[in-house]
Amino acid sequence: MQKAKAIELEIAVVDGVELNGTWNRMFEPRVISEYDLSVLEEITNIPGAESLGYCYQCGKCTAVCPVDSVGDYSPRKIFRRTQLGISLLDSPDLWLCTTCRNCLRVCPKEVNMIDIMPAVREQAVLEGKAPAELLTAFENTARYGNPIGESARKRADWTKTAGVPVPVMSQKKAPVDVLWFVECYPAYHPRGKEASAALARILAALGVDFGILGTEEKCAGDSQRMAGERGLFEMLAEHNIKMLSKYRFNEIVVTDPHAYNPFLHEYPKLGGEWPVRHYTQFLAEKLAGVNFVKGIKKRITFHDPCYLGRHNGEYEAPRSLLRALPDVELVEMGHCRETSYCCGGGGGGMWLDGFTRDYASERLSERRVKEAVEYGAEILAVSCPYEVPRFEDAVKSTGHDGQIQVMDIVELMAYCMGLNEGLAIS
Amino acid sequence: MANTDTVLIVGAGPGGMEAARTVAELGKKVLLVEAQAEIGGTPYASYATLTPDLQETEAAMGHIVRGIRHNPSIDLRVNTRVVKSEGDIGAFHVTLENPDATQTVVEVGAVVIATGFQHFDPGRETQMYGYYEYDDVITLVDAEAMFKQGKIIRPSTGQAPDSVAFIQCVGSRDRQIGNKYCSKVCCGIASKQSIEIKRMLPNAKVFIFYIDMRMYGFWEDQIYWKAQEEYKVNYVRGIVTEVIRRGGKLLIKGEDTTMGRPVEVLMDLVILSVGMEPSKGTVQMSKIFSVPREEHGFLQIVGGPLDTVSTPVPGIFVAGAAAGPKDIEDTVSMGGAAAAKAVGALNRLALEV
Repeated sequence: MQKAKAIELEIAVVDGVELNGTWNRMFEPRVISEYDLSVLEEITNIPGAESLGYCYQCGKCTAVCPVDSVGDYSPRKIFRRTQLGISLLDSPDLWLCTTCRNCLRVCPKEVNMIDIMPAVREQAVLEGKAPAELLTAFENTARYGNPIGESARKRADWTKTAGVPVPVMSQKKAPVDVLWFVECYPAYHPRGKEASAALARILAALGVDFGILGTEEKCAGDSQRMAGERGLFEMLAEHNIKMLSKYRFNEIVVTDPHAYNPFLHEYPKLGGEWPVRHYTQFLAEKLAGVNFVKGIKKRITFHDPCYLGRHNGEYEAPRSLLRALPDVELVEMGHCRETSYCCGGGGGGMWLDGFTRDYASERLSERRVKEAVEYGAEILAVSCPYEVPRFEDAVKSTGHDGQIQVMDIVELMAYCMGLNEGLAIS
Repeated sequence: MANTDTVLIVGAGPGGMEAARTVAELGKKVLLVEAQAEIGGTPYASYATLTPDLQETEAAMGHIVRGIRHNPSIDLRVNTRVVKSEGDIGAFHVTLENPDATQTVVEVGAVVIATGFQHFDPGRETQMYGYYEYDDVITLVDAEAMFKQGKIIRPSTGQAPDSVAFIQCVGSRDRQIGNKYCSKVCCGIASKQSIEIKRMLPNAKVFIFYIDMRMYGFWEDQIYWKAQEEYKVNYVRGIVTEVIRRGGKLLIKGEDTTMGRPVEVLMDLVILSVGMEPSKGTVQMSKIFSVPREEHGFLQIVGGPLDTVSTPVPGIFVAGAAAGPKDIEDTVSMGGAAAAKAVGALNRLALEV
């Protein structure tokens, strides 16, 4: 590669100040003397990554890419860098995408990062190029069935705090109406467990005949798939499908949009096909039978999860739940529904916060919290288990502690049903 | 073969009118059918001035419209639709219907379809520019309606805008929307409109956000250079993807791709450069006359670049934007060509008899 050429003026005086020599050193731009097209060819030859080569450089993706808003990254830029011979396999760019799908929404050429990212990442993982913290999450998932590294035996421990019976299928030995697929963060994370307990109480109050897999459940694996570990995903999916196939139930209800997505689109390809709904969809249909006993006099805004909204088209169910809560004032942020921002947790982002810190001016979750505050929200309501921990961290790091609270919709709903006395709404 | 001297022309826009004039000049009879009450087509109805020469539409087209109305060889039927066709070249039996549902069957020897395009409905774009949400997001067509009244204003306030942004390629060149083609004229029309806005509001800042400027042939200096050099219109490569209300203005977000930098600029007025789609009439004529549509949805022609007007059905020809995105120059050229071929076909039939 040709080196940049330095130019120095021997005599340079600006406003009477002498800037001779190195003080006025300028560099000529480096000439692009070669387009190494083998790199673009290599990347677009990876099955799933073909559409990267379709980019016609309109730049529509850049303006809506949440990652570009805090850094220097967008599908358009990825294409140009690849065209210049910078391999995506070796670039940090590869690990910054959260697969939020906003670029694909606006892309006139259907350059599909939702296919490109997992395909190229899979290759990078095989070549040993994945960031260490991501590998830790993969290893934890393989060993314990969850990316957090918690004991597999403790997966159902949260049920002890629910205050209502949470039937585990292996013990119940009877068919149920609803098989609740709990997922990892709702089973292990302290705030996730609180939301799970709230949902259990709501289901019990509504008389829903339900059960969980308990320790027979493993991570649904979709984020690991998007982060490049398809093999691990398939192993998890096969396990979950095998366990689910042991029992009789009418439908699956999931807590996590990152489980909703594979149950809709990926598990059927592997032989696991059941009717599936996100808990907001399930509860929205039951609203008529809900008895609310108190209200929340707060201004609430809602963050659409990428994998519920843009990926799977559900925008109404969570809003209908929030609108049903007495006294609540629901406000929409500028970025909502189809144009919603991203919390940064998808596509492996949940396990890459240390890595992305070097390439972003702030976390996506911090951006989003600032927007919620800007719109005057006192509560940021969410319906994805990645979001409570991410946004709560962001509330603290952006200095908005005490100004805005982050709550899962089920926590708010249980509160208004008189089932969540412990919830401190300040 | 009583009717081999009549050519049916469907649609009285620039293409249909030129076809009608030409058939008449070549000595054949014309039956010109127009679904609307007025003739002149989309440019005459919707555009204050024409691209690229900025002539006032009324001045440029009025005498053609009047000529059509007074031409003894042209039997003009407005408020009339073609609803059915049977038969073949030399003897098409075509059913016409007027608004009170009265039907008449006419016999014609050849047909020219000139049913044109319709503007893309910005409610269908996936970028969410907010056309149905924000008063100050308008289309090229809405801007023309204002120009016809000699003004350009922000609909939300009635005041003149200080800053105007055109967003190009809305509904065109987009696989997701299903329109995989360039609409050809929007770059020119946006540039033309930017000149008109600067003539009315010399102090307004006018920007055109584009992916590629497509200013073929003379349009390059007639409108593109003219807009930039004489009227100080600003062309920015990179497209806007987000429009958000901020205070009383519109915050447009996009990427300046030559600088590789994000753009977040407040604008008073956003004009969406909506492209072309086959009109409802074009789709209907495809069914009625059994003329297949090509992969983009327009009427199919058989000769590629060397015969722009012949359809796969003998005796049926097409002129203008019914066959794909066309500017007025191409449309009128096709009108003449379609007329000549239609008359030629009738002449050959007459010799065979």
